[in-house]
Amino acid sequence: MPFERQRDRIDAWFRNALHGEDQLRQRVAFALSEILVVSQNGALASYPYALAGYYDLLAEHAFGNYRELLEAVTLHPAMGIYLSMLGNEKPDPDRNIRPDENYARELMQLFSIGLVQLHPDGTPVLDADGVPVPTYDQAVIEGFAHVFTGWHFAGAASFRQAFPTAQNQVVPMQLYPAFHDDGAKQLLNGTVLPPGQGGQADLEAALDNIFQHPNVGPFIARRLLQRLVTSNPSPGYVRRVADVFDDNGAGVRGDLGAVVRAILLDAEARPALPMEIDGKIKEPLLRLTQLWRAYDAQSAGGGYPFVAASVFLGQGPLQAPSVFNFFSPDYAPPGEIRDSSLTAPELEIATEYQNTLVTNLFFYQVFGLNSASTGLEADDIVIDIDAEIALADDADALLDRVGDTLLGGEMSAVLRAEIAGMLARIPADDAALRAAEAIYLVVTSPEFAYQR
Amino acid sequence: MPMVSRRQFLQAGAAAGLASCPGAVFAQGVGMPAPFDDYRALVCVFLFGGNDSFNMLVPRSAAEHAAYAASRQNLAIERAALLPINPATPDGAQYGLHPAMPGVQSLFESGRAAFVTNVGPLIRPTTREQFLAGAVPLPPQLFSHNDQQDQWHSLKGRNVTRTGWAGRVADLVRAAVSDQRMATNASLFGTSLYQSAEQTVAYVMGPGGPVQFEGFGTTGVLLEQRRAFERIIGADYDTVYERAYAEIQQRAVASADRVGAALAGAPVLATAFPATPLGRQLETVARLVAVRDELAMQRQIFFVAAGGFDTHDNQVADQPGLLGGVSEALAAFYSATAELGIAESVTSFTQSDFGRTLTSNGDGTDHAWGGNQLVVGGAVRGQELYGRYPLLEIGGPDDVGGGRMIPTTSADQYAATLARWFGIDDADLDIVAPAIANFAERDLGFLP
Repeated sequence: MPFERQRDRIDAWFRNALHGEDQLRQRVAFALSEILVVSQNGALASYPYALAGYYDLLAEHAFGNYRELLEAVTLHPAMGIYLSMLGNEKPDPDRNIRPDENYARELMQLFSIGLVQLHPDGTPVLDADGVPVPTYDQAVIEGFAHVFTGWHFAGAASFRQAFPTAQNQVVPMQLYPAFHDDGAKQLLNGTVLPPGQGGQADLEAALDNIFQHPNVGPFIARRLLQRLVTSNPSPGYVRRVADVFDDNGAGVRGDLGAVVRAILLDAEARPALPMEIDGKIKEPLLRLTQLWRAYDAQSAGGGYPFVAASVFLGQGPLQAPSVFNFFSPDYAPPGEIRDSSLTAPELEIATEYQNTLVTNLFFYQVFGLNSASTGLEADDIVIDIDAEIALADDADALLDRVGDTLLGGEMSAVLRAEIAGMLARIPADDAALRAAEAIYLVVTSPEFAYQR
Repeated sequence: MPMVSRRQFLQAGAAAGLASCPGAVFAQGVGMPAPFDDYRALVCVFLFGGNDSFNMLVPRSAAEHAAYAASRQNLAIERAALLPINPATPDGAQYGLHPAMPGVQSLFESGRAAFVTNVGPLIRPTTREQFLAGAVPLPPQLFSHNDQQDQWHSLKGRNVTRTGWAGRVADLVRAAVSDQRMATNASLFGTSLYQSAEQTVAYVMGPGGPVQFEGFGTTGVLLEQRRAFERIIGADYDTVYERAYAEIQQRAVASADRVGAALAGAPVLATAFPATPLGRQLETVARLVAVRDELAMQRQIFFVAAGGFDTHDNQVADQPGLLGGVSEALAAFYSATAELGIAESVTSFTQSDFGRTLTSNGDGTDHAWGGNQLVVGGAVRGQELYGRYPLLEIGGPDDVGGGRMIPTTSADQYAATLARWFGIDDADLDIVAPAIANFAERDLGFLP
């Protein structure tokens, strides 16, 4: 049962990604899903509703305020289950039981401020020895761990009787005051929460404490820039976006809509004179959605139940191997990228193995599941290449069309020549094979894997 | 589209503070090994998430178990349930294994396995008093997953590094193994800092080995298609990203043929492996070891892994499966190497993010520091515990709070011992394990 529902969740994700009226919102939600990570792999395998609800939450808040997003994420049962805040209870010193530190730690390390203090341009603050200055210590983690006690599935008769249902896994967790620690709590920047103010007030104050930390702007700016525009944003670019995070121009901190606008409309997003470090590798999942969108992929059954996505692509919606996402924002492959102290996060999963599987997926898709294919089944997701087939006897026309459709009209001379060479070997009357060949060599090329 | 040249980019990068890392230590060994006349393989089994290894190797004698049970409370394993092991050199206490690990019990008792106890990242020997007073340098970001994985992978301490210790070992033996037809470092579990190097590049295959490219034929249009594909990935590209991507594709094409062909000729193993991801990876490693001569391999470092060890929740329910899975897979792997007659030349060993808190968070444990690691192989001086097993007491002499044990043996010592067996000259162990000079024993003695 959970498996079928997870398949439905994947299906819905592709429907929204391919056909949603709100394309930018969906794109930002996907970026957020790789920052505020929960995953089907692990404790959430049997909670498809929680995962689906969580993704809806990300889409809903994609252009909202980051403080509200943090609170919504914190109280969502998907996050509660994934990072074990759900069911976390106050200490019991007699039994050597202390609050679970999982969510407290990752909230700070991965979702908001990071491990080290940052300048407004995202570069680390160094001490006299050149070592980055930490943002918090174990005492602060323990303080937040005590804050996040007493929360469980909503609507239960009691904390001890809170069990998952289809309904309570998609609504915010509820505070059960008897299980919340009411002591004082050490937070960031020397702030100490007073004892006895209750779980809700503790939670609000603790999230405010994190949200007001000066790291949040540059930390989130760099991550969103890497997801949306370039692996190596300049410090100035990070700073310009972080400044908008700090103040959207109307005195509001954390306005994600303004942040996304600042990211996409910056001069560095579309430089007049491109540098060889501009842009990024396109994630395999986004290469697939681009191919499907370009050729209006459909199944006879109407959906996109492509559960094997993560096997072929090394990633899928809410399917990261851990809270550290599919790849690290600091990953640098050996060679000139690492030698130049640059990063290319997406290449961490572009292993020889995974690249071969992605290449093979595109082979099956383009040659085997196109609109001229026969023997298709209801669940087969098929690309419509009729228009390409119609002009396939004219190699130049076919190349122009595929280049316009998949590469923004900028196919390299080498790629064009190689495809033309292959087309010369395929008889003109085998139109479907000619069309498929052209598409296959484009979608498996380095230039298709690159986003300008 | 005009592109800025690399020179312009590097100037721009320098202006932006992106100067390329100057102090990178190149692995230019002083005692470059001569060509090897034998075969040796290291198999790193990484347990992602932080294995709660004080429930893997547990004190069994009454007083020590009582301290353990008082600390662990609802997570403690009952004394009677432990699988007894009998170290050849007793330390005064008795020990047992988690009940899900009969395979490892048998390997230990027959002298094929050893434990290194309470080992973890350190820069120099560290006492509780020194830790609390801030009197010794410590690895940064203790208790954080990715940072401590990186410590185990790289042994970087407080330095910035881009290489792992297996990567540095591969660089050091590079000249001696120049005929090998596959990279010294091979991963069956993705990219890792562990195998990252300055001069050599690790090869990443799948859990079942390399996958072949569909649509690559040996004749006709499918051969032409392959040639076209190869020319496309071999072309010049304008951006660092396309170039890096193309390089990976080139390695993938070259290795899929070579390694795939060799593996296709591997003998069928009589040893049955568990049908788990770790079992499948180790079965493939065994098959690759079997075809080592076809690939002209003399030195290999494999990286395999299992996940799910971050037991913040449901530890009592989950731990038997986790530890049982490791035990079963490692026992099968040892049997396979024995079946191949190569057990003396293959050493497998565990690493993990960190040990876990002795205290409970209700139904699980949190991130800590020192832990116990397992070494298996025909060459291992087995049926021994290496290092000092700590008193598992909250607030005790090795606890920095909550039952987080200060390691009493360093990960540098652990790695140096493995590297020396692999063939690294004693003088070069400082390249492999940069802090090794801070510790009295450069070799823990669990390998000859």
